[in-house]
Amino acid sequence: MKVMANHPPLTDVVTPSHVLNNVPIHTAEHADSVPAPEGYWHIALPRWGYSFLLEKRALAVNIGLLIALLASCLLYLSLGSVPLAPSAVIPAVLGKGDMMTAFMVQELRLPRLAAACFAGAAFALSGILMQTLARNRLATPGIIGIDNGATAFAVASIVGMSVSIAPPAMALAGATTAAVLTFGLAAGSGTQGYRFIVAGIGVGAVFGAVTQLMLARVAIDTANAAYPWTVGSLNARPGGAVQLLGVGLALGVIAALALARSLTLLRFKDATASGLGLRVKARRLQILMLSVVLTAFAVAVAGPVGMVALIGPEIARSLSSARHVPIMAATLAGALVMLLADLAGRTLLAPIEIPVGIVTAVIGGPWLLWILMRPQRSRP
Amino acid sequence: MKDAVTSLSSAMGSASRRRYAPRTWMLILLTALVAVSVVSLLIGAGEVGPRRVLGLLQGASDSEAQFIVWELRAPRTLIGIVVGIALGVAGALLQAISRNPLAEPGLLGVSAGAAFAVALALVLGASAATLRISVAQLGALIGCVCVLSVARFRGVGNDPVRLVLAGAAFSGLLGSLTSLMLLYDQRAADEIRFWVVGSLAGRRLDDLVAVLPSLLVAAIAVVIMARPLAALALGERAASGLGHHPTLIRWVAVGCVALLVGAATAIAGPIAFVGLVVPFVARAFAGPDIRRTLWFCLPIGPLIVLMADIISRVAVAPSELPLGVLTALCGAPVLIAVVRAKRLPML
Amino acid sequence: MGYSSLRNGLVGIVVGGLLVGGSLASVAQARTLDTAYGDVEVSDAPEHIVTLYEGALDAALAAGVTPVGAVTTRGGDNVAEYVEAHLNGERPEIVGVTREINIEAVLAQQPDLILAAAQLSEEQYQLLSRIAPTVVPHAQPLAFDNWKAEARLYGQALNREAEIDDAIATVDQRISELAAAIDDANAGGTAVLARWMPNGPMVMSKELIATGLLAKVGVEVRDAGLVAEGHPHSDILSLENLSQVDGDWLFLATLNADGQAALDAAKQSSAFTRLDVVKQDQVVPVNGQLWSSANGPLAAQAILDDIENALLP
Repeated sequence: MKVMANHPPLTDVVTPSHVLNNVPIHTAEHADSVPAPEGYWHIALPRWGYSFLLEKRALAVNIGLLIALLASCLLYLSLGSVPLAPSAVIPAVLGKGDMMTAFMVQELRLPRLAAACFAGAAFALSGILMQTLARNRLATPGIIGIDNGATAFAVASIVGMSVSIAPPAMALAGATTAAVLTFGLAAGSGTQGYRFIVAGIGVGAVFGAVTQLMLARVAIDTANAAYPWTVGSLNARPGGAVQLLGVGLALGVIAALALARSLTLLRFKDATASGLGLRVKARRLQILMLSVVLTAFAVAVAGPVGMVALIGPEIARSLSSARHVPIMAATLAGALVMLLADLAGRTLLAPIEIPVGIVTAVIGGPWLLWILMRPQRSRP
Repeated sequence: MKDAVTSLSSAMGSASRRRYAPRTWMLILLTALVAVSVVSLLIGAGEVGPRRVLGLLQGASDSEAQFIVWELRAPRTLIGIVVGIALGVAGALLQAISRNPLAEPGLLGVSAGAAFAVALALVLGASAATLRISVAQLGALIGCVCVLSVARFRGVGNDPVRLVLAGAAFSGLLGSLTSLMLLYDQRAADEIRFWVVGSLAGRRLDDLVAVLPSLLVAAIAVVIMARPLAALALGERAASGLGHHPTLIRWVAVGCVALLVGAATAIAGPIAFVGLVVPFVARAFAGPDIRRTLWFCLPIGPLIVLMADIISRVAVAPSELPLGVLTALCGAPVLIAVVRAKRLPML
Repeated sequence: MGYSSLRNGLVGIVVGGLLVGGSLASVAQARTLDTAYGDVEVSDAPEHIVTLYEGALDAALAAGVTPVGAVTTRGGDNVAEYVEAHLNGERPEIVGVTREINIEAVLAQQPDLILAAAQLSEEQYQLLSRIAPTVVPHAQPLAFDNWKAEARLYGQALNREAEIDDAIATVDQRISELAAAIDDANAGGTAVLARWMPNGPMVMSKELIATGLLAKVGVEVRDAGLVAEGHPHSDILSLENLSQVDGDWLFLATLNADGQAALDAAKQSSAFTRLDVVKQDQVVPVNGQLWSSANGPLAAQAILDDIENALLP
């Protein structure tokens, strides 16, 4: 009981027995003889000699989120400084309809839609990875300073040198540098791997101070140019970075799904996880790297919108059962949140835009406070 | 508990420092403080160097040197001393009541609260230069109370890392709200970007006088509180057994922290990590006793702030570096050193 | 090969369609301008103009054209105050702020000409130029006279070169008249343009339009050697070095519309009140929107108004 207090579960009560239900059963013959546990479908693929359990609730949640995401996409393409009828949007996506609508949808809104979806999904995915790893729902890459590193580098490239190195590339370099510093400095701090969080906060503070120093020393025009990088914005995002993020996200989701079972086990104490056959150290490193890379790509596109990494997983967890780590649901929820936030930012005060980073902060802020302040659930 | 303290001491390699009695160390530190204060009067970003200042003392008539030493550097030094004491003592108090060596006013969102309040005032029409000092103080107070009530002292505070996380999340939230307010007010945005990096430059003695009453209240409270705090370090039951009220002690301590940090932030802006570094160093000299630690914070806080301020003046003359940036750069390694200690010490 | 030509053809159709959709300008009579992104063809009589830069708005108004869309001035939520007098009741729609242009809002105005700043990024240019011909001046190192070349380019784009030349000539004439008057009144001397920040002053460059105009009318502008080349202003100066901004005149700029507030703030510092220029009450609070951010012939006139009011009361 005392021990559990140090590792509060991310969601409702989780016990190893729940998890064991979720372990894939690798032989079809074996699977045929075992009925599916309650709440699951048993999908058998005898031809490949493989079968697995599909949780009904997870499927429903993911399909529901996907439908919500598609509906939001349509809304996103329709609304803006020039509202379009949804019936005009769909032909425009396919390249039909009048020129102005096609230009508006294809050249202005679709790239931004892609940027919002990809960045939101990547932030939320990296968020849930790191939260699970640190066993703390507040431990997102943004809070442990990775966003700060990216911002500092991007701002440096704007205020310091001429535009020889593009800010997105610098953001990528910054996130990586912050992560390497954090884990380098926290290395050897024993088995309590989550101490890297505090090292990260320290590293983040240094980068934050450097950013403020740079902004305090430059002309206001330059400070203006650096502004999107300090709050997070999807206005006029570079196309190359978005494509890179798309590819990175696709690979990241596949990798995360491959790590799903390890993630589920990592929610327990290291001893329990090892006992269940997990190579804790190696898995932890892989998950960390995945999380950092996803954040880096996302920051390179959208700037530091770290709050999505907190909100997306939170939504996913509240919808899902506690039996597994809701990777797909978090990813979809992140995309959905980012999309809706940017839609609000584009339309509320049009023609002047509110940067998406600020919209997410205003939504996420009260939520965050609520997470912090609500009474702790009683623990087993 | 006891072996945690021991491990903290050994982590800082204080075995070698224990050759002298604390009293001797105190004397050495006070001498160093006097020396640094004198240097602070001698050196600056301007053309008036040590030679001209010494000439002034020998009776030379040098109106510029006289003005710079007595009107600029002397108030600045005095403010640096007060800010150092306030932040150092606040850090020690906060760490004592949360039993968390990572508890630092800046890390816990107090500075963010102050910055938020200042931004709010700017947006509502105040100008940073004429800003009433009380605004920042109020903001710091609210920030402090928010985080600590969120953390509920022991609830989250049980795990040092979680308290810091809560503070970081809270700071991030306030930072975003600050940016939101500044979105449509670039005048305020332009002023706040100079305020969010703390500094001692251009502060006047009037500012110090304005916060003096709250500092005095806090000082008296700390003196009264020292013994109960030491009792609290023995554990809640022991403290109750000795006739103290643990909850009351904690709330009074939080009030003191808010007053101290609020005052320091109101004068100098957010100055990161001083509240972390000073008690860390003080414990190395003083050992586990909170009363002794508080005493040692008195010379160590000003020493650190003044040294950082002197560096900030000479590093990029004729301009100055913001002090908050320097302390963040120096303080972060200490933060990391604390977490790298073999066992995260629980105070 | 076949694919790319097909694609180019499609792009051409899109561009052409947008042009025709925007207005009925005759493409045959297009003129060619030399811009930062190569030669740009603009129509003879553009009617719906969007300006994405304060200097472009200024030049268009000076040429007698009120744009249909413009960005806000820096530090405000609308066009600059000095511009208001020249709007003649027509008001451009706001299409974003300087740091973030809302391209959808630009498109909604259906412009046939877009005038942008030299800092416009390539990616933004690619999008904007598909809405309408987009004129971007060549980026130049910071210099007082930049505004003239920019205004002339915008004038060419508007096909109103004569009006712009007139406006520039009027400014030049005003400068020489004012210089003579200041010389007669012996009101010149040395001057510094500074912004007062809570931590101390920032000295503005000698290469801004405002400091350039001061120099032209016979005031010796100083920057105390503190402003790095190509930078619009110095770092914040230590108060210990405040004596370096002393002189016969001190122009104190602020983004605050109310310059007096900035002056009052500065006067709370004993290092400031100690300056000779303050003791002699020769400090001139000026509007930072105009003095450190605006650009163009109308801005020049407005700054000259300020100078005249201050030096020749």
